[in-house]
Amino acid sequence: MRLGIGTLKNPGPGFLLFWAGIILGILGIIIALLAHSKKKERVKTSDLWKGLKWDKAILVLISLFIYILLLPTVGYLIMTFALLFLLFSILERSALWVPVVFALITTVTTYMIFHVWLDVHLPQGIF
Amino acid sequence: MSTSLRGYFNRGLETPEGKRMDILHNLFQGFQIIFQPDNIMFCFLGVLLGTLVGVLPGLGPTGAISILLPATFRMSTTSAIIMLAGIYYGSMYGGSTTSILVNIPGEAASVVTCLDGHEMAKKGRAGAALGISAFGSFIAGTAGIIGLMVFAEPLAEFAILFGPPEYFAVVLLGLTLITHLSSGSVIKALAMGILGIILSNIGLDPIYGTPRITFDILQLGDGISLVPMAMGLFGISEILTNIEQASVPEILRTKIKGIFPTLSDWMHSKGPILRGSLLGFLLGILPGGGAVIASFVSYGMEKRISKTPELFGKGAIAGVAGPESANNSAAAGAFIPLFTLGIPANVVMALLFGAFVIHGIRPGPFFLKEHPEIFWGVISSMYVGNVMLLILNLPLIPIWVKLLRIPYKILFPLILLFCIIGAYSINSNMFDVLVMVVFGIAGYFFRKFQYECAPLILAFILGPLLELNLRQALLYSSGSLSIFFSSPISIVLIGFSIILFLSPLVPHFKPKRKGPL
Repeated sequence: MRLGIGTLKNPGPGFLLFWAGIILGILGIIIALLAHSKKKERVKTSDLWKGLKWDKAILVLISLFIYILLLPTVGYLIMTFALLFLLFSILERSALWVPVVFALITTVTTYMIFHVWLDVHLPQGIF
Repeated sequence: MSTSLRGYFNRGLETPEGKRMDILHNLFQGFQIIFQPDNIMFCFLGVLLGTLVGVLPGLGPTGAISILLPATFRMSTTSAIIMLAGIYYGSMYGGSTTSILVNIPGEAASVVTCLDGHEMAKKGRAGAALGISAFGSFIAGTAGIIGLMVFAEPLAEFAILFGPPEYFAVVLLGLTLITHLSSGSVIKALAMGILGIILSNIGLDPIYGTPRITFDILQLGDGISLVPMAMGLFGISEILTNIEQASVPEILRTKIKGIFPTLSDWMHSKGPILRGSLLGFLLGILPGGGAVIASFVSYGMEKRISKTPELFGKGAIAGVAGPESANNSAAAGAFIPLFTLGIPANVVMALLFGAFVIHGIRPGPFFLKEHPEIFWGVISSMYVGNVMLLILNLPLIPIWVKLLRIPYKILFPLILLFCIIGAYSINSNMFDVLVMVVFGIAGYFFRKFQYECAPLILAFILGPLLELNLRQALLYSSGSLSIFFSSPISIVLIGFSIILFLSPLVPHFKPKRKGPL
């Protein structure tokens, strides 16, 4: 509201936002009413995650947030190696050297391609 | 591309014969552009990557283009668009391979190919299915490019007549069609479209410069960047959804032989290929249409007009030839609204629109006149790209099949890392990476609750255009809404939009139908 909806003659910065918000609200009510009217067909929200390895998705997300938080201070090489090691070993258990080697090769190769060759400025961190 | 090259493009011949010569002359110049070493390399890279993402389930053309957008910052605009377009039409070829061999579509436009393609493979005719889909794609792809070449210029000249009310009407119709033609619930798609418009309003107001929904966060002053948002919604959310799945699909272990269709195969396929080419092109032009819908409509049409509809779903070659042709010519047709009106017809075109804007070019009615070298360069790259794709897809099918065996546990960390580097490299800051992850989480939940992300991205791209033209039109007319009904073009377009907008409400008031639809 602070933005100013303006008038039809002189629509303000909040004009489209205001009307889009109203339509979204109405659509929200319609969606809720439709869901309510189809109670019998309704699938429980928890069913959407039934039989799935949702914990792995959460683990990936948490590791991504830690990566974002620490990347500027720790730097690309260490953080990317740590992230990739975790990701390569997350779906299947295998001998320790497999994710280590994959993570190492990928980190070094991407660093060479993007930082050295394509001149993308990657965070150096403690190095 | 140098401005001097623009002078080569012949633009003054007004007679029909002159115009034909004009097209041929410009096409010839376009071929000179594509055969420059860097352009031909990017064209090859594009179609190769397109085939790759088409083959690999779990990464479609939308995700791939989002990831590669930042990599195009340093290229010339022509090279960038040639490569990104190559990914799009290349993925249409590659997508059929997984549909036929694994019964899992590599990307959405090949979903329908699973029905008969995989059945053919199970009967030992995988080679013929792969062959006819590659040849059909080539014929339809080429037909689509010819259509694009012939119709783009007259349409652009027509679009010059458009003022703010007409533009507002076109954008409104585009948004309505996109939501209406989406595969899931229309109301949910509408809600996503509106959400996209609201998100596009973040940042400074285009007329007064007032900050909107920025929450005093400095980085939001310029609004949300398209690239991290698209990467999150399509790339990260796809990864999150895939790593939850426990099972890995088995590849059909069949010997692929006889990729050149027999005479009988051709006889059964020539009609579907021709009809698919025409239908796909028309549906491709339609805002919100595109390859996915074209493939479904073509399959339905072929089944309806077939003398043996009972064979559909049991390995009918027409059920592969039709949709695979339709999705390729639709991929070419979808460029028309982008090049002539500056309105992306589908989400991939929205990303290409983003690529143009990043390079400081705004596609629209003047695009063909101001940047003929890009338009004709891209057109000729499509001819060359289609030939490359035919070569890549026919003899190299065994290699693509081997690629299918790369385990997802190796693939997904790589895709994730490319997303991170891509998002970071836009402005060299972590904020864009954070935006990507946040939209990744949002996209994951949208998928779970069956809210499609395509209308959101399209509305996000079209939002500023919609707002600016709406406000300008209202300023011109001193607040009178009659300006939107002052020209036949806007009356027709707005009329269609209103009918489409209200149509989802109709079924709820109708008595329920009994029996199957």
